[in-house]
Amino acid sequence: MTTSQVSPQTTTLRILRGTVTNGKLVQQTQDFTVPYDATTTVLGALEYVKGELDGSLTFRRSCRASICGSCAMVVNGRSRLACKTKITDLLGGNEGKNIASAEATVGDANVIEVGPQRNQPVLKDLVVDIAPFYQKVKDILPYVQEGPEQEEHVTKDSFSQVNMVSNCIMCGACYSDCTAMVENPSFIGPAALAKAYRFVSDPREGNKTERLKELSEKNGIWDCTRCGMCIDACPKGVAPMEAIVKLRSLAMEAGITNNDGARHAMVFKDDIATWGVLNEPFMLLKTKGILGSIAQIPNALNLAKVGKIPNPFPFDHKVDKLDEVKAIYAELKKNPLDVKTKAADSGPGAG
Amino acid sequence: MVKHDIVIIGAGLAGLRAAFEGVTAGLNTAVVSKIHPLRSHSCAAQGGVNAAINPKDDWHHHAYDTVKGADFVGDQDSIDMMCAEAPQAVLDLDKMGCPFSRENDGTIAQRAFGGQNFPRTAYAADRTGHAMLHTLWEQAIKYGVHVYDEYFLMEITSDAGRATGAVVMDIRSGKLQHLQAKAVCVATGGYGRMFAANTNAMTNTGDGIAHAMRAGAPAADLEFVQFHPTGLLRSGILISEGVRGEGAYLIGADGQRFMQKYAPNKLELASRDVVSRSMVTEINNGNGQNGGVFLDVRHLGKALILERLPQIRQLAMDFEGVDPIDQPIPVRPTCHYTMGGIRTDKLGQSIALKGLFAAGEAACVSVHGANRLGANSLLETIVFGKITGKDMVDFVNNREGRDGVATDGSHAVAKVSARIAALKGRPREGGVRQNTIRDTLVNEMQENCSVFRDEARLNQAWAAIQTAKAGLAKLYVDDKSEAFNTDVITALELENLVLMAEGTVATAMERKESRGAHSRTDFPTRDDENWMTHITAGYDHASKGVVLGRDAVRTTGNPQYAPAERKY
Repeated sequence: MTTSQVSPQTTTLRILRGTVTNGKLVQQTQDFTVPYDATTTVLGALEYVKGELDGSLTFRRSCRASICGSCAMVVNGRSRLACKTKITDLLGGNEGKNIASAEATVGDANVIEVGPQRNQPVLKDLVVDIAPFYQKVKDILPYVQEGPEQEEHVTKDSFSQVNMVSNCIMCGACYSDCTAMVENPSFIGPAALAKAYRFVSDPREGNKTERLKELSEKNGIWDCTRCGMCIDACPKGVAPMEAIVKLRSLAMEAGITNNDGARHAMVFKDDIATWGVLNEPFMLLKTKGILGSIAQIPNALNLAKVGKIPNPFPFDHKVDKLDEVKAIYAELKKNPLDVKTKAADSGPGAG
Repeated sequence: MVKHDIVIIGAGLAGLRAAFEGVTAGLNTAVVSKIHPLRSHSCAAQGGVNAAINPKDDWHHHAYDTVKGADFVGDQDSIDMMCAEAPQAVLDLDKMGCPFSRENDGTIAQRAFGGQNFPRTAYAADRTGHAMLHTLWEQAIKYGVHVYDEYFLMEITSDAGRATGAVVMDIRSGKLQHLQAKAVCVATGGYGRMFAANTNAMTNTGDGIAHAMRAGAPAADLEFVQFHPTGLLRSGILISEGVRGEGAYLIGADGQRFMQKYAPNKLELASRDVVSRSMVTEINNGNGQNGGVFLDVRHLGKALILERLPQIRQLAMDFEGVDPIDQPIPVRPTCHYTMGGIRTDKLGQSIALKGLFAAGEAACVSVHGANRLGANSLLETIVFGKITGKDMVDFVNNREGRDGVATDGSHAVAKVSARIAALKGRPREGGVRQNTIRDTLVNEMQENCSVFRDEARLNQAWAAIQTAKAGLAKLYVDDKSEAFNTDVITALELENLVLMAEGTVATAMERKESRGAHSRTDFPTRDDENWMTHITAGYDHASKGVVLGRDAVRTTGNPQYAPAERKY
């Protein structure tokens, strides 16, 4: 792409607009031509449309400095802050789309597609109903509680874990891109869980174990699929999935293992350590028990129909270089994921 | 109609802190906010909050620094109270769970800020306001404050000199309703959006102050507008004074530091008004580049920048395309804070309208006088949020508020409804687009009423205000719908902003001296004989314009607070 100084350059914003009439959402795209230069943001372009072309275009915005979290929306298939996303970073193949958008016109380099966040009901144009998102944050009881596990003394490093997640601005980008949410809308989601980790990791919090118990219940930490989308989506580097992984480690460490998620994690680990590969039928049996496994039979048959059922026989099921797999586990045992002191990112997929 | 004991407009730090007092005292407390509380602009405050926590520090020094910073027109009783209460107010927040940065021994860490004799600025990395706001929001959830989330203030209602509540619009549905209250508190922040270059959120349009003026509670100190030295050149986004506190330099296009010429002792950490004027003088003398100078942190080293200034680095990279580790950051003085607000007594109640309170940037208590010190704004929000909250509780339980005022708000709702209908009914033909009015207004204010002012410029700004007012009468909106009509909201915000601009220009014309942030090139010196006073600005419904008055500076008789020349 050339960075020519010829002005004004223009591009097309293809905005997915929507109105709710009698409780029914009707959406359609509308194209607007907007001028831009090297510093124009998507928010700037939206403001241009609203100010000069069509005042009825509706979106939230406030600080324009990526700290208030108002303007998260889907831009070229990904959830982002409009105020932080520059037009020039989107054009001419400057960035790859990591999700195929249903509305996308693939290959049109001079069109930027803007739509409302996903996983939330649309109220109007780019505005979604944020109440369910915030209800889930409220559900984790988002405040430091007095209790038996409260530590009186705080040191310089006490908040290093807290700080890792307290960058969160509750913009909802992670929630919008969460794939587990698509399958289970009751999943409390990455932002609320990151917020929960903020309290579990705070030395002043008095009910850490109680919180971990609650979070290990249905729709909690074990419902995350660890796809990593929330890490990509977060405009503030919070890495919610990291926090979820740490919550899982802490929960298991605290002996909160009487749930499908923890059992699944333990069986998973045992399988890999023993065989080097997963043994799905046994895994299911050990995670869900006999009755639970029988209940999964329709699901398994559905998977079989589309060719996604793995080898059901627990034999001939070992990798060649099992010693290397065992070496990895030995290494992990020696250097476990640090969930207490350091805030250093442990990288996607850790744990 | 809904009844509450206390209705607070605005859910930033001051509003939520006041709400904490109301709800923990057992009163029915509601907060109204046009955006979700966590979106409030308090979240953008980076640097920190001043408090003489360190045993080697003394709140009296903090108070003196504040009186001097205010250029001796701040109210001394409020300043003393704020500085004395500061340590406890910070410790309150800490106890609620705010993750303030720590020293090795666990005490709250503090850094140096401009215009002060001691490093007394407590902080949470470089997102102090954000950390504090989230903490107070957490408390609002814990104690069950009723939050009217995404409700817009349409009118403050009053009856016989008493505030009685507010007419608000549920933005989601467009429906109007009257919230009746025994005490009303305005905590809607400032109105810095009236300038083209500003660090403010787009929502900072002075709604609460404008409506309070219309309801009979005058504002004061509107002429004092703080231009922060280091807004990013292109976007105006704020780069915290904390960066200079960490040792950053200001350099001109020639690559040299220049503050030694203007403030030989404090250099880059002189008071904000002093630094901003120095920068504009350098730029006017040809030592600028593209209308700005540079903030240089390269000598601080990569490690320190990454550890203590991570957000700052990110902002510079995102919005200016510059990595401060390798390049100086282009900056210019940018409207940051409005010292003016609803004129109140020492505890935050309007001097004219009973039952109307104000806290934070929306109030003129006045602890900042003609110029606010860095990190005193977060302090004001938590100290006066608390004090004003307590005073409202007392007002409701033990004073005039006890019996309340039974007002049927239906008449007010009908009036507001008619206003909206008229706005939506205005034709496009022969009408004016709100953007046209806004763009002209902010550019004229920037050009003629910012860092340096004189009579000719102010006359021009006054003419621009009259043009804007005429434009408002012809303003049309594209969106005629009920639900989430942000076209209507921004038009109403513009009406509020124009009133605030009118008050700012009128008081700037009135004050014929230079003091603090108000710098008149035609009256270059401070005139204590004639101008040791607040200028008030009320709204006159007959002339549809502002009327000016005077209100005395509250003094304590402390001889140390006698006006002296301000040197840094």
